Amino acid sequence: MDSGYYAAATALASRTQALDTIANNLANASTVGYLAQHNVFSSVLAAAGSPSGSPVNQAINNYGILSGTTLDMSQGAMQKTGNDLDLAIQGPGFFVVQTANGPVYTRNGSFQVSGKGQLITSAGDPVMGDSGAITMLPGPVSIGPDGTISSNGALAGKLKVVQFPAGTDLTSAGESYYAAPPHTAKDSTDSSVQQGMLESSNVNPVAGMVELVTAQRSAEMMQHALSMFNAEIDKTASQDLPKVS
Amino acid sequence: MFHALYTAASGMTAQQINLDNIANNLANASTSGFQSRRVQFSDLLYQSEVMPGSAATQQTTYSSGLQVGLGTRPGNTEIIQTQGDLSSTGNPLDFAIEGMGFFQILLPSNQIGYTRAGSFQTNAQGNLVTANGNTLQPAITIPANATNVTVGSDGTVSVTLPGQTNASQVGVIQLATFANPGGLNSVGNNIYLPTTASGDAVVGTPGGADGLGTIQQGMLEQANVNIVDEFVNMILAQRSYESNSRVVKAADEMLQGLNQVAQ
Repeated sequence: MDSGYYAAATALASRTQALDTIANNLANASTVGYLAQHNVFSSVLAAAGSPSGSPVNQAINNYGILSGTTLDMSQGAMQKTGNDLDLAIQGPGFFVVQTANGPVYTRNGSFQVSGKGQLITSAGDPVMGDSGAITMLPGPVSIGPDGTISSNGALAGKLKVVQFPAGTDLTSAGESYYAAPPHTAKDSTDSSVQQGMLESSNVNPVAGMVELVTAQRSAEMMQHALSMFNAEIDKTASQDLPKVS
Repeated sequence: MFHALYTAASGMTAQQINLDNIANNLANASTSGFQSRRVQFSDLLYQSEVMPGSAATQQTTYSSGLQVGLGTRPGNTEIIQTQGDLSSTGNPLDFAIEGMGFFQILLPSNQIGYTRAGSFQTNAQGNLVTANGNTLQPAITIPANATNVTVGSDGTVSVTLPGQTNASQVGVIQLATFANPGGLNSVGNNIYLPTTASGDAVVGTPGGADGLGTIQQGMLEQANVNIVDEFVNMILAQRSYESNSRVVKAADEMLQGLNQVAQ
């Protein structure tokens, strides 16, 4: 059978998946602390494992699929808000948040104080300090670059800021939270906390639009390819084959 | 079907709410004591088609997962707590709070409401009331024949009566703070009500170290709306709406093309 037909169909499916990721990036362009996702395409051999025969055989059985998404770890733009409990991280660090499902990590530092006086995220989960949840003291809050929280000179705690070795697989968990494999988080040495600022999402709208157009045009090409296979097969099956007999 | 259509729709809905909030901030740019709000967005759940680190073969694992996000949602609108500019009005019954405190006022429902709008008047009984007639708590009565009213930065209200040289104290204005003022409930007329998120009011005398702030007589606090920021946010909201609608169009055209293949 025409393996090209399936190659084009696979590629078309991967472009529609790619569109989903692009749409999610653009939809979250205003989400504080959101890390953009990038699509990773890779090729699979239809008959993987078996000897690949001739180069022609290899070429026509090589399908392009969307194999994964990676997170863009670059710094987002800093936005001044003036709120004392809005924090941004300059550098590769993440805040640690305790949820019902274990610790998660976020760069969204839009924090609040709960009715019980604990420092919480906007989703209501406690933010972790060096020794567990942080109980805030009354009075104006001042937070130093190393994450030290104080009110009127009295120390309330120190924010835990962690970073991950390059290549760690972070999983998006929604709410700008990211989950990491156990024992990968290390105390961050080259991050600083900025008070009164928030980090906007690092989605690049220009790159997003370019990816959008590329995915769309690439999908069109695959659709054309499919149409041509369709037409050829149709022609062979409905016009040429009957003439043989 | 494509997630992209719904994902983009979630982005468009979120930007609509963002624009509604910006419009309200701008509309209240001249409301004294108004505190602007900011919409916070969060990303929705992810569909994990391949979990990162899952086994590709017995010996190897996938270096990255395949996670498809399903869009965004407006999470909450947080009250911005920055100090508004103080403008001098010269009216002795205009008070501005320089700090985090709120005035306490008695609402017709007998609840205590909280406000930073300090434009007070006296009612027929001589009590200090807001423009809507709600009494300041604890009630302070200004004698009708007072020739001069002075409010100290610590909230002490004193009046000078005819024929007297020394001012006499008639009350102390107390202020309230909250553990989480961002979680207060706005009910209009510059009034906030406490919620479980904000915590209970902590009442105290102004001027202390507990962040209540000081009272400035003859001044009003302007709205803390930053017009430039709001305009920038408005442009961003509009452009973000456009890019999301562009995704809807792209998804639509791809589906259309797919339908043509099948013809």
